[in-house]
Amino acid sequence: MEELVSLTAVTRTVRLPDDAELHILKGIDLAVHAGDHTAIIGRSGGGKSTLLNLIGLLDLPSTGEIRFLGEPVNHLSNNARARLRGESVGFVFQQFNLLPGRSALDNVITPLLYAKGSGFWRRRELAMEMLDRVGLSARADVLPNMLSGGEQQRVAIARALVRKPRLILADEPTGALDVETGQTVMALLDTVATESGSALITITHDSNVAALARACYRLEAGVLTAVDVPLRPGTPGAETSASDEAVGASAGAGA
Amino acid sequence: MTGLVSTIVEAWQELRINKTRILLALIGVALSVAALTTVVGMGNLVREGYKASSERNGGRSATLNLGVYGPTMPDPEKLSQAYRGIQERYGIKYSTNVSQAQHGFQFPNGVQDVQLHVVDPGYGVIHRIEVDHGSWFADSDEQRFAPALVVSETFYNAAGRPNLTTDPVVTLAGAQKTTAVIIGVVPDQYPYPGMPPSAYMLTGAAEKAGVTAGAYGMSSQFEIWVQDAQAESLQAAITADLQQQFPGMEAQANRGDYASHGDPFAMVQLAVGGIAGLVMLLGAVGMLNISMVTVRYRVREIGIRRSFGATSQRVFVGVMMESVVATAVAGVVGVMLAVAVVKNPWIESKIAPGLTEFPPFPLEAAMLGLGAAILVGALAGAIPALVAVRVKVIDAIRF
Ligand SMILES: Nc1ncnc2c1ncn2[C@@H]1O[C@H](COP(=O)(O)OP(=O)(O)OP(=O)(O)O)[C@@H](O)[C@H]1O
Ligand SMILES: [Mg+2]
Repeated sequence: MEELVSLTAVTRTVRLPDDAELHILKGIDLAVHAGDHTAIIGRSGGGKSTLLNLIGLLDLPSTGEIRFLGEPVNHLSNNARARLRGESVGFVFQQFNLLPGRSALDNVITPLLYAKGSGFWRRRELAMEMLDRVGLSARADVLPNMLSGGEQQRVAIARALVRKPRLILADEPTGALDVETGQTVMALLDTVATESGSALITITHDSNVAALARACYRLEAGVLTAVDVPLRPGTPGAETSASDEAVGASAGAGA
Repeated sequence: MTGLVSTIVEAWQELRINKTRILLALIGVALSVAALTTVVGMGNLVREGYKASSERNGGRSATLNLGVYGPTMPDPEKLSQAYRGIQERYGIKYSTNVSQAQHGFQFPNGVQDVQLHVVDPGYGVIHRIEVDHGSWFADSDEQRFAPALVVSETFYNAAGRPNLTTDPVVTLAGAQKTTAVIIGVVPDQYPYPGMPPSAYMLTGAAEKAGVTAGAYGMSSQFEIWVQDAQAESLQAAITADLQQQFPGMEAQANRGDYASHGDPFAMVQLAVGGIAGLVMLLGAVGMLNISMVTVRYRVREIGIRRSFGATSQRVFVGVMMESVVATAVAGVVGVMLAVAVVKNPWIESKIAPGLTEFPPFPLEAAMLGLGAAILVGALAGAIPALVAVRVKVIDAIRF
C-alpha cells in the first residue's frame, strides 16, 4: 500500500527560556499508509501534538528524516510545504478552530480559497456537498457561535475534508465534547475518512475513540510504541478485524 | 489568475467580517483624502481664476509692452511706424495699441461718462477676452462707418440690453454726435456696485469719432504677444532695435503678463498641501493602528488559514490587500466628497470670481487623492502584513 508519510529516527528538541533543552520527541519511527486509521494515545505533555505537527508539515524535526509522499520535507521550501499541506492534509482540532463570524459554509470554503483551478471556482458547490455529507447542509448560513459543540466539530470535519486530502490529522477531536456527542462525531469522522479513502491519524485520551482505529500507538515521554487496539466495550473482537479487512480492501482499491 | 482572484475574494471576505472596525479607520482616510483633494482642486481653481483675471489685465504669457520714453514725447507717427516695422521683422502675429479715454455717451436715462479702452483687434487674443454676447472685433471692423463697440455688462444694462442681432446703436455725446454700433458684450472686470460703464473701441475708429486717447496723461502702449520660449531673446532684440531708432531716448520692452512674476500661489498651495499631507499621515497612523489590532486579534485565525495551505506570501498579500482595498474605497469616497465641495456653484463663485466658465474638476487632483489613499493603504498594511507572516502556525493554534 502506498506510503504517505514516513518518520525515521525523528527527534524534536526545543530550547527553553532558561537555556535548557527539552527533548519532546526522542527517535520516532512511524509509517502512515493510504487508508490507515491510526490512533495515538498517551499522557498529557507526552509530545502527541508535537508529533502531529511534524506529520502535518507544520513543523520540522530537529534530527531524523520525514518523507511526505516520498519527498524529504527538509528539502521543501516553506511555500512548497504550505501548498502540499493545503492539498494533502486536513486538520481537525480539539477546539474546532472555526473562523468566528463566518458562516458554516464560509468556513468550509476557506481551504478552497487556497486551491487552484476548479477547486477554487467550484468552491461553493464543493463546500455545500461536504456540509451535506456531515448532515449540516440545512445550517450552511449559520455562524459557528450559534452551533452546538458537536455541530461545530462536524463543520470542522467538513472543512478538513473538502479538498479531499490523503491524510487527516485529528488532535483530540472529541476532547471538547461530551461522551455521547464525541462518539457520534468520531464515528462520522471515521466514516467520511473511509469513504474518501483518506488516512486518519487521531490523537485521543478516549479508549472508545481509539477502538475505532485499526492501529494504535502510545506516546510516552517522547517515545512511540505500538499497542493493541483497545476493544470497544461490548464489541466482539472478531467484528473489529472483519471491518479492518473490509476497509483495507476498499482503501487499497481507492489508492 | 486563480491566485489573484482568490486573494481578492479572501480580502473582500475579511473586510466584510471586520467592517465596523475598518469603517472607523476609513472615515479618517476618506476625510483626509477629501481634504487633500479639495486643497489641490481649489488651488487649481483659484489659480485658473487668477490667471484669467490677470490675463485680462496684463495679457497672457508672454506679452511684451513696448515703449519709448524721453525728455520729450516721441513723434507718434514715427513711433507707430517703428512698431509696424518690428511686427514685420520679428514675425509678430498679434499686437495691439492700448490707450485709455473717457467719453460721454447718450443713454436712455441721460448722458453718462464711459471709460473707453482704445485697442486693436489683437487685444482680444492677447488678453483672452471672452464675450458673453455677440463677438469681439474683426480686422474689418476698423473700416466701418459707424464705430463698433464691445461694451461691458454695465454699459449694456444702461443701454437697455438691446438685441445685438439688430445692430443697436448708441450716440456719443459731443459736437459730432457720432453713432456707434454695439457688436459684443463682455463681463464687468471688477463687478462692484456703482461701477461706471466701460467699452472697447478700435484705435482707428476712436480717431474718426474724435475720441481723444491718452486721457489721464497716460501715453498709449503697444503690446505684442510672443512665444514663451522666445520671450527673453525677443525682449533683448526689440529693445536694442527700438533704441537704435530713437537715439537719446530710452526704449523698453517689458513683460507685463502674470507668468513673468512667478506663481504667486505656489507657496500658499505648498503650505496647505503640507497640512493636508499631515492630515493624511494621521489617517495612515489611524489605519495602521486598527490593522495592528486586527492582526493581533487574528493571529489564531491566520494560523488556522496557514494550516489549510495559505502560503506566507498569500498571508502577506491578503493582509495588505485588505488594507489597500479598504483605503481605495475610502479614497473614492474622499475624492467624491472633494468634487462635491469644489464643484459647488456657491464655492466656485467665491474662490474664483474672475472666471465666467469654471474648469472641470482637475483630474490630477482626483488621481493624487486616490493615489495617496492607496499608498496609505499599502503603508498601513505592510507592517501588520509582516507581523502576520511571522506568525508561527504551531504557536497560533496552540491554546
Ligand atoms: N515550542 C515549545 N517550547 C517549549 N516547550 C514546548 C514547545 N512545544 C511543546 N513544548 C512542550 O513539550 C511537551 C509536549 O507538548 P505537546 O503539546 O506535544 O504535548 P501533548 O502530548 O500534545 O499534550 P496534551 O495531551 O496535553 O495536548 C509539553 O511539555 C510542552 O510544554
Ligand atoms: Mg496536544
